[in-house]
Amino acid sequence: MKQIAALIAFCAALGASFTPRAGGPDPVVVTLAYVGSAQASALFGIRQGLEEANLQGQFLGQRYVLEVIEPGAAPAADFSSYAAIVAALEKENLRMLAKFARGRAVFNLISEDDALRAACIPGLLHVIPSSTMKRNAEAQWRKVHPDANVVAMAWHGDFVKFAGRDLNKRFQKAFNTPMDERAWAGWAAVKIVSDSIARGGAADPGVLLEFLSSRLSFDGQKGVDMNFRPTGQLRQTLLITEGGRLLGEAPVRGVAAPDDLDSLDTAACSG
Amino acid sequence: MIRLFAAILCVVMSPAVPAAPTHRIFVTNEGSDDLSVINGKTLEVEKTFTVGKRPRGIGLAPDASELYVAASEENVILVIDPSTLKELRRFEAGSDPETFAVHPNGTIYISNEDAAMASVFDPKTGRKVAEIPVGLEPEGVAISPDGKKVIVTSESTNMLHVIGVPEHTIIANILVGARPRSAVFTRDGNVAYATSEISGEVKKVDMNQHKVVAITKIADEKAKPKDVLLSRDEKTLYVAGGRADAVIVLDAQTMQVKANIPVGKRVWGLALSRDGSRLFSTDGASNSVSAIDTATHKVIKTIPVGEMPWGIVIDD
Repeated sequence: MKQIAALIAFCAALGASFTPRAGGPDPVVVTLAYVGSAQASALFGIRQGLEEANLQGQFLGQRYVLEVIEPGAAPAADFSSYAAIVAALEKENLRMLAKFARGRAVFNLISEDDALRAACIPGLLHVIPSSTMKRNAEAQWRKVHPDANVVAMAWHGDFVKFAGRDLNKRFQKAFNTPMDERAWAGWAAVKIVSDSIARGGAADPGVLLEFLSSRLSFDGQKGVDMNFRPTGQLRQTLLITEGGRLLGEAPVRGVAAPDDLDSLDTAACSG
Repeated sequence: MIRLFAAILCVVMSPAVPAAPTHRIFVTNEGSDDLSVINGKTLEVEKTFTVGKRPRGIGLAPDASELYVAASEENVILVIDPSTLKELRRFEAGSDPETFAVHPNGTIYISNEDAAMASVFDPKTGRKVAEIPVGLEPEGVAISPDGKKVIVTSESTNMLHVIGVPEHTIIANILVGARPRSAVFTRDGNVAYATSEISGEVKKVDMNQHKVVAITKIADEKAKPKDVLLSRDEKTLYVAGGRADAVIVLDAQTMQVKANIPVGKRVWGLALSRDGSRLFSTDGASNSVSAIDTATHKVIKTIPVGEMPWGIVIDD
């Protein structure tokens, strides 16, 4: 009889239970600013990144919020309350924003301008690849496939390797549209910030900026460890497409090692 | 009366005698949707059969009476008789069941990769016992030998989530290097080792303090550490090196790399024979399994299997 009682207890212990997410003291609120069009695909990516940052934040007592600033309102805006700024702006507006927001990280999500990299503007970090990186990636592909007419991109909605499939699935489900390269850049910028705050332990903009430039080890779901070059450009794998179809990745095997990200970018500060 | 009946049912369904080992090695091939059955003595494939879309996670019941295979794109776990190779039943296992581990009590802890959830199933009934929200892209599952702690790695949240059993609450979240993929406990449960694929690291974690106490970064830049196993004497760690196309051997105490065993391409899965003399790796991009002599650190045989072999388990 005792045995039966024990078995009943065992069976009861197998009964379904649902455990709520970990609670705890009031979370630290980290506020990010977005400067750019409210319709930009980069903003969708930012929102996906926020969702994921908050999923991590609930385990660490951090909560991420976003404030959207129209580009026209940027000159008058007070940036002092933001941990970092994510921007979908072209080069001149981006240069100005980096000045207004001095002392905190400004992430460039759309401008591919080479001169902006060479200028090495303090705090300005380029998540989107530069024009030169894209041309170098395309040239590497041509060395192996000289007849191909390819276009290099930071991301593609059909990318499945290195858990690219998972990110594309999450994004498609949330926004009902494939993730494009600007959306990826927006997502990556927020994840870079949340990863760095999680590891660096502080949301102070200066501490964050220092962490970003010296200690970043970021998984952008492209199979490589990413960090920033002295120009502020994010080292990353690029995806090779032809007619909108995904063909492969650069660095291109046979031309450069998959981890030799500097084979795509040798830009230096113009001084 | 109903409770008594349920209890009797429990008794009837509890296997009493461990099954005699089949000495087979089972391999999931995520590319060809099938399972390769290798004769553990001859190291020849004796049978290959279709199991379902994108089979990845694989495991045996504590008494080895049943083989579990996760067909991750069909959201099911198949229950297969390891001896007759017949499918006994299957059950819905939540969204995208990728990897799982079998608890000493027979329940299965699964990472549901695209649901940010770990779930617990009773494979006898197919019933979900619990679900525990974890980080993004949960992957590796490791269970302490005493069954009191479960580690689930979340690849995109970069954490080891430590879940207490039977409460099924998270008791610690340990931040680790980018893309943690796999973990293993020591027999006494005091230490766990975990791999981080993107940061290229192997970490030693104090499981009483829930703190990382040592980190080894694999020098080979190509190394993307995935599965991790301990030798039977717990002095040696075996790490599947991913793109390094090698199994990396570390001293478990000093965490120094002792040897590099070249195998096939994109090595992810590892399994060790009960006596510890043979280590097997799934070499995903070579469509093969490497059989390694652990005394000499040499590959003794390369066994062609299906496309993109992923998970591996030995019934010995």
